[in-house]
Amino acid sequence: MAALRSTSSRLLAAASRPAAGPTMFARTMASVSSATTEANPKGSADTRMKSFQIYRWNPDTPTEKPRMQTYTLDLNKTGPMVLDALVRIKNELDPTLTFRRSCREGICGSCAMNINGTNTLACLCRIPTDTTKEMKIYPLPHTYVVKDLVPDLTYFYKQYKSIKPYLQRDTPAPDGREYRQSKADRKKLDGLYECILCACCSTSCPSYWWNAEEYLGPAILLQSYRWLADSRDEKKAERQAALDNSMSLYRCHTILNCTRTCPKGLNPGLAIAEIKKSMAF
Amino acid sequence: MASIIRPTLLRQTGLAASITRRAASAAAAPTSIFALNSAFRSTVAKDAMRVAAFHASSRRSLLPPGPQVIKGSVNDPAPVPEPHSTHGSYHWTFERAIAAGLIPLTVAPFAAGTLNPGTDAALCALMLVHSHLGFQAVIIDYVPTSRYPGLRKACMWLLNAATVLVGVGLYEFETNDVGVTEAIKRVWKA
Repeated sequence: MAALRSTSSRLLAAASRPAAGPTMFARTMASVSSATTEANPKGSADTRMKSFQIYRWNPDTPTEKPRMQTYTLDLNKTGPMVLDALVRIKNELDPTLTFRRSCREGICGSCAMNINGTNTLACLCRIPTDTTKEMKIYPLPHTYVVKDLVPDLTYFYKQYKSIKPYLQRDTPAPDGREYRQSKADRKKLDGLYECILCACCSTSCPSYWWNAEEYLGPAILLQSYRWLADSRDEKKAERQAALDNSMSLYRCHTILNCTRTCPKGLNPGLAIAEIKKSMAF
Repeated sequence: MASIIRPTLLRQTGLAASITRRAASAAAAPTSIFALNSAFRSTVAKDAMRVAAFHASSRRSLLPPGPQVIKGSVNDPAPVPEPHSTHGSYHWTFERAIAAGLIPLTVAPFAAGTLNPGTDAALCALMLVHSHLGFQAVIIDYVPTSRYPGLRKACMWLLNAATVLVGVGLYEFETNDVGVTEAIKRVWKA
């Protein structure tokens, strides 16, 4: 039925397109107002033109150096968030611009990028309304870039896998049903389970920049603590032993860039400090 | 300091490089020297500025990343190192204990108003270990074994030698001279 409906709606849309005419054509997903002001000359009263400088690099021409490309958008016709601007650029100005996005509401972590010098999610970052200043958008720092704003997070995910991010238990539940925990124990996981692994914190950490091969980085250590703090997990000693070397955990020097940058408002620095405290003595 | 010099240095090298490049191409196709000269100046200057501007903004020569190497498939976990408490948790606890111990030792001689060779010796020893551990952390951070195994070893031995040298110096200063606390006192009052 759903399939039928989508076909019929597509047919309807196709039929109504000539009637809708230019407004239909000019209006896009990212624009909020009707597109009648599209043709307005630059500098008119109801346009607010803002420039976006975006990092561009194409793997098809690897010898070409990365460059910054400037796009200018009218903020009156763009949604409030940086992701809206990016989507609008891709739809209307330059379809070759490449970036990851999925949920547009800060729950998937795909659109993590460096915006005006801060790692954050494009979908949670408002466009500053000051149109005199250009906005600079780079991929996450110190990552291998796949294309434009898309970083390669392969090793980040491999590191995540190395901490065994799942419940490890040998004893079955006493009543043979789910593993229960008290409300107090559950409360310990607040501020930990919300992490969406967008890698904003890890790529803002200088220690992770220099030693990404061995140091796990704030995001993975926050997840590590999420399983260490879980009252249902029975492999605490093994988890701690996996961190008990000079590189995995102790390259953290409490710089706290991670906490400052986290777009979800979590505190990886505190989680790392808790791990260190629990392993001391 | 380096960051202040860098742009000017790069402008120089950029200029030199483009001049030699131009000179080589000019030699290959000889034309009127004067016509060449004026055209040469402007383009060279422009090129050099462009090169300098590019390098001044994007050069990061501290631990430059090599090509990406992914060992195993994307589904294999990253390798987990062997547990080593002396390099891990014990090391961290020791570091904190030393740092915390330094605070009372620094305050004690001035608070008590008397000079005691015992506290002086303890202060010197802790300070020595504290700075040794601090520099060790710097070396571990910035000279990774995987990339520069030789340099790492050299740095560590250099640090060991420096620590021994400072230790001997402090010992001499304590036994044959006034000692650290008294020296600070005198400098303070001088």
